[in-house]
Amino acid sequence: MIDDVFVFDGVAHPFNFDSKNALNRAGEMFSNHLYAFHAALTPDNEPKLPPEEFLRQWTVGDIRTMVYDQSDTDMLVAMPLPLTDLYRDGLSPWEECADLAARDPERTVFWGTVNPLEGRAALDLMERQVGEYNARAFKFYNVRYDYGSPFPWRMDDPKIAFPVFEKAQELGVNLIGVHKGVPLGPQPIEHTQTWDMDGAAANFPDINFVIFHVGLPFLDETCWQLIRYPNLHASLAATINFLVRAPRMFAEILGKLLFWCGEDKIVYGSEAPIFHPQWALRAFMDFQIPQDLCEGYGYPQLTDTAKRKILGENLLRLHGMDVQATVGRLGRTPRS
Amino acid sequence: MADVLPLVLDALRDVYDPCCREKGISVVDMGLVRSADVGEDGAGRVELLLTSGWCPFAARVLTEVRERLEDVPGMAGADVEIVWDEAWTTDRLSPDARRKLRFLPDPAQVPDREAYIAAHRPSTPTGPEENSCDR
Repeated sequence: MIDDVFVFDGVAHPFNFDSKNALNRAGEMFSNHLYAFHAALTPDNEPKLPPEEFLRQWTVGDIRTMVYDQSDTDMLVAMPLPLTDLYRDGLSPWEECADLAARDPERTVFWGTVNPLEGRAALDLMERQVGEYNARAFKFYNVRYDYGSPFPWRMDDPKIAFPVFEKAQELGVNLIGVHKGVPLGPQPIEHTQTWDMDGAAANFPDINFVIFHVGLPFLDETCWQLIRYPNLHASLAATINFLVRAPRMFAEILGKLLFWCGEDKIVYGSEAPIFHPQWALRAFMDFQIPQDLCEGYGYPQLTDTAKRKILGENLLRLHGMDVQATVGRLGRTPRS
Repeated sequence: MADVLPLVLDALRDVYDPCCREKGISVVDMGLVRSADVGEDGAGRVELLLTSGWCPFAARVLTEVRERLEDVPGMAGADVEIVWDEAWTTDRLSPDARRKLRFLPDPAQVPDREAYIAAHRPSTPTGPEENSCDR
């Protein structure tokens, strides 16, 4: 807990940046791109890793140490990243994430992932990830690769997307995350836009969808979607890491989200190990929206209640977990 | 060459920043072109504003604009520059782009949030407003 606030981190990836894992120049470029994110957004007074320490295979033990031993995080989502055209193992394979979750079954939650373009094979894998590995949700990426080419798909596609949503429901899963906004390497960015979320949310009102990396690039449009669909939610993963370098930009993003979408629809994610979780957690707890933005634009202030919801309570609720019962069950207390 | 801005804008009307392609909003409609003229060497010069300094596609847009500029009759080359001394604002959007994108007012201009949402919400609350299933 940070101060007395329960922290449920919505995304960490056990990355395999080993140079032998990259299949091609695009994979190498993407690894360097993530390293640039680390170097550019980590505050100057925090440890920045040299490339040789960052661009390596991160073990599940490394992630556990960073998230649980070195930060005030209480629970974590182990999140796969299936860039199978850029890396031999996709960069953060689901099997590694399942292993990470199995190390702390009370604290770490596994989200599965499949390629909906694979049809029956995808549905079978969903069954396996839920049945054998206790996947509590699924994360989807709208550009998948095969044979060296990108194959984009949409969240509102009745033939590609809806079967996996129906399968999730059949398996008792009603939480689905989707990567949006930030291009993952040289992929067509059109399909990382949120325009397809209306159709997904409208056709599956009993599934809660989390739009990751909210804020880039059309925040107003995304807000209007979040307003209209009670089952759409926004993750600040990566967005929160602009907090120290660009606090006013972050304040504008958060101010708009708080006013239009409300504090109940925003969740936190660290993106460890790209960013060490602790500095952003501390900065967020200490953060206030600048008063001139509150007075000039009418943004609501970021209250202690809102921080509590954003850092943990909202994501617990989306997983169907009771806040008090979970805190009590885990016996969490503020780190000394 | 006289005022070349209209000529250049015409040449760039189907150049898209990847973020805006799906909405059909060109770099011209986004208001990214600040100025266009022809130098003494006969080369076209265009100044571009970016919507955000974080834009990962600046190089791609820059290249495409340069290529289109080189194709403009009478241009002896092309020189495209991103300028940073002026911030892009939504005031630069064309009326067409403004219609295609939704911009929410500053909260200070919204005395009653619920009333605003109710007034702008589509009539079928669970139906997609602009569902684009038709691929």
